[in-house]
Amino acid sequence: MVQVDGLTKLYGEFAAVSELTFSLQPGEVLGLVGPNGAGKTTTLRCLAGIIPPSRGTVCVGGHDIVRDAIPAKQQLAFFTDEPRLFDYLTVWQHLNFIARIYQVADYERIGRELLEELEIANKKDALPGELSRGMKQKLAIACGLLHSPRVIYFDEPLTGLDPIGIRRMKDSILKRAKDGSAIIISSHLLHLVEEICTRILILKNGRKIADGTLAEITRTFSEQSGDASLEEIFFRATSETSSSAPAAPPPLPH
Amino acid sequence: MISALFYLQYHTFRNRLVSRFKRLKQPKYLIGAIVGGLYFYWYFFRYLFRGYATGGPSAANLTFPPPHLLVIESLGALVLFVIVLLAWIVPHERAALTFTEAEVAFLFPAPVTRRTLIHFKLMRSQLRILFSVLFLTLISRSFGGNAWIHAFGWWLILSTLNLHFLGSSFARTILLDRGISNWFRRLLIAGLAGAMVFGVWIWARRTMPEFNLADIPDFKSAMDYLQRFLTAGPALYLLYPFRLVVRPFLAPDAAAFLSALPPVLLIFLLHYLWVIYSDVAFEEASVAASQKLAARIAAARAGNWQGARKNHKAKKPWFNLTSSGPSATAFLWKNLIGVGQVFSPRLWILLMIIVVVLSVSLGRSGLHHQLPVVMGACIAIALVYSLLLGPQILRLDFRHDLPLADVLKTFPLRGWQIALGEILAPVTVLLVFQWLLLLIEIGLLFYLPGSHGALFLMISLGAVTMMPPLDVLLLLIPNAAVLLFPAWIQTGKDSPRGIEVTGQRLIMALAQLLVLLLALVPAVAAFAAVFFPLNFAVGPPVAVLAACLAGTAVLAIEAGFGVMLLGKLFERFDVTEEHAG
Repeated sequence: MVQVDGLTKLYGEFAAVSELTFSLQPGEVLGLVGPNGAGKTTTLRCLAGIIPPSRGTVCVGGHDIVRDAIPAKQQLAFFTDEPRLFDYLTVWQHLNFIARIYQVADYERIGRELLEELEIANKKDALPGELSRGMKQKLAIACGLLHSPRVIYFDEPLTGLDPIGIRRMKDSILKRAKDGSAIIISSHLLHLVEEICTRILILKNGRKIADGTLAEITRTFSEQSGDASLEEIFFRATSETSSSAPAAPPPLPH
Repeated sequence: MISALFYLQYHTFRNRLVSRFKRLKQPKYLIGAIVGGLYFYWYFFRYLFRGYATGGPSAANLTFPPPHLLVIESLGALVLFVIVLLAWIVPHERAALTFTEAEVAFLFPAPVTRRTLIHFKLMRSQLRILFSVLFLTLISRSFGGNAWIHAFGWWLILSTLNLHFLGSSFARTILLDRGISNWFRRLLIAGLAGAMVFGVWIWARRTMPEFNLADIPDFKSAMDYLQRFLTAGPALYLLYPFRLVVRPFLAPDAAAFLSALPPVLLIFLLHYLWVIYSDVAFEEASVAASQKLAARIAAARAGNWQGARKNHKAKKPWFNLTSSGPSATAFLWKNLIGVGQVFSPRLWILLMIIVVVLSVSLGRSGLHHQLPVVMGACIAIALVYSLLLGPQILRLDFRHDLPLADVLKTFPLRGWQIALGEILAPVTVLLVFQWLLLLIEIGLLFYLPGSHGALFLMISLGAVTMMPPLDVLLLLIPNAAVLLFPAWIQTGKDSPRGIEVTGQRLIMALAQLLVLLLALVPAVAAFAAVFFPLNFAVGPPVAVLAACLAGTAVLAIEAGFGVMLLGKLFERFDVTEEHAG
C-alpha cells in the first residue's frame, strides 16, 4: 500500500531524512518512533506529498506521490499533531468543503455518522474558535476520514484528547486497520505504539535504525533479556553507545 | 521588587533589539533595512539633520498668532474631549491590564502587590508612548516649531491619556461592582455630554450669527468664526482642563512651555494618584485578556490576520456547494464565507450613512445641477482606486491561507486548481463592485450633456469586458509574490516589524507595480493595434470597443498562463523552508 525507497530529504547540507526504505501492507499499523529531531514529521510530510523528497520515491497505492500525485493523494489522509482548520468555516462547512475537494458523493450521510461517532454532532454549527482542543482534533479527523482513505498518517494522534477520547482514538485506529487501511503513527508515547502497532520503525538522525515487529526489534536490541519493554528498547536503540548498557535518562531533581 | 520588573522590561527590549540586528546578516533584511532607512530618512529625519534650508517650512513662519493659537488649542482640546468621552462610553469590559501569558504565569502567583503590577504596566506602556512620541514629533516637526517642545508636549498628552484610560477602566469596574450596568453608565455620560453640547448650542444661537458657508469665504473668516465659538462662550470653560493638557505642546518658546507646565503636571499627578489608589481587582479579567492576546498573537503568527483581529461569527455560505463539480468552486465558496466576516451589518450601516451624507451634501451644494458629471468622475476615480487598492485590501487568497499550505498540499488537486480557487473570491468581490460602478456609470450617461454619450458608453462597455482578466492579473501578482518571497509579504498582523520590514514592503510594492506594467504592455499594444486603424475607418466609439475586446483577449491569455504559473509555484512551494527566514 505504501512503498518507500531511498527517501532522502535535504535542507542544504543537512539531511533531515536519509535513505529511508520500507513498505507497508493493508491492515498494518506502523509505529514511527525516535527522539526529537529524528525526522519523523519530515518523513510523514514527504509521505503525504506536502514536501517533495530530495531523493528517492514514495508510492501510495501504486502511485508515485510526486509524479502521479492526484490518485496517490486521493487515497490518503494526514492528521497533524496540531489540528489545522479554516477559522471561518463551521464544523459542517468543513465537511461540505472537503466533500467537494474529494468529490465524496454521499458526504451528508458519512459526515453525520462521523460526527456522531466522534461525539461532536451537537457542534456542527460551531466555528473552530468555539471548540476545545480535543474537539478541533476530532473535527480534523472527521474531515480526514470523510473520503474513506486507504492510507492514514497520524502525527501524535493523542495530543489534547481526554481519556475517553484516547480510548476511542485507539479503537478507531484499530478498526480502520482491521478494515484494511495501512496506518503510520508517529508518536513519543511508546505505550501507545506498543499497544496498537503491528510494526515499529525507529528513526535517529534521519536514519532508520530498526524496523520490524516488537518481538524482532526486541531480539535485535535486547542483550540480556528477551522480554524488554519498548521503552527499554528505545533507549538502547537511540543511545549514542548502543552496544553498552541502556542509556536511561537521568532522574528529575526532587 | 520593581527593580526585578525593570530588569525584565529592560532585557526584553534589549534582546528584541539584538535579535533585530542579528537578522541583518540575512541579505533580505539588510537590503530591506537600507531601503527602509532611506525611506525614513527622506521623509522624516533629514529635517532634523538639515533643517529647512532645502525648501521646507521654517519654524518661525509657522508659529500661529495668539488668537489663532487659542483656536488651535481649543480644537486640540476638543479632540481630547471627544477621545476621553469615548473612553467612558464605548468600552464595556472590566478593567484588565494586558500582560503576556508568561507575565501572568510568573508575576501573578509571585509575592507582587497589585500596585507594583500597575507600576509595571505603566512602565511598560512608556516604551510604546516614547516610540509614538518620536514618530509624532517627526511628523509635527515638519510643520515647524521646536522639536523638544513638541516631544515633551506629545509625551504629556499621551501619558495623561494613558493614565486616564486606565483610571476610567478602573472606575468602570467599580461601577459594575456596584450594580451600575454598562448601558446605564453610557446613557448617563452621553446625557451629560449631550446637555453640555446643548448648552453650547443654545448659547451660540443666541449670541452668534447663524452658520452659513456663504459667509465664510476664506480661511481667516473660518478661524474667526471658530475663535468666537470656542473661546467666547461656555465652550471655553468646558474645554479648559483639556486646553491645559494641549497647551505645552503648542508653546511657541521655552518660557511659554515652562509656564504652561505646572497645571498639566498637576493634572498628570492627579491622574497618577487616581490610578494608583484605585483598589480594583483586575487580575481575573487580566488573565482572560492575556489568554485572548496570546490567542491573537498565535493566530497572527500563523498568518491568520482575521483571526488575530477579532472573534468570528458563523456565516451562511453565499451559495450551496454540491459534492461534485470543479474543485476551484470549493475555494470560492470557502473564501466567500470568509469575506462575509468582513461585511458585517455594522459596515453596511456605515456605508449607508456615508452614501446618505454624501448625497445630502451634494444636493445642498451648488453642484447638484452637474450631478451626473460629478458622479461619473467620482465613479471613474473609484474604479481606478479599486484596481490599485482592491488587491491589497481583499486578501482572502494565498496571503490568508498560506499558513495552511500543508493542508492544501494534501488535497488531491493540481496546483493550478488550487491557485485558481484561491484567487477566485477576491476577484469575484472586486468584479461585482466594479461592475456595479460601471452599471451606474452607464446609467448616468443618459443624463450626460453634450454629444459624447456613445463614446463613453463604448468605453464603459470596454471596461466591463476588461475588468475580469485585469483583476485576475492584479490578484496573481501579490499571490505569486507571497509564494516566491513569503518572508517579504505580510501574512499576519504580528509579522516581523521594523525599518527593515518597511523597506522590504516598499521593494515588494515597487516590484509588483513593475510586473503589472510589464504585464500590461502586450494588452496596450493589442489595444493600440486595433484602435488606430478602426478609429480612422469607422470612428472612435466602435474603435474603442473593438480595441478593448482585443486588449481583453490578450489579458485573458496572460491571466490563463498566470494561473498555471501560480499553480506551479504552489506545487514547488516548500512549507518547511517557508519559515526558515
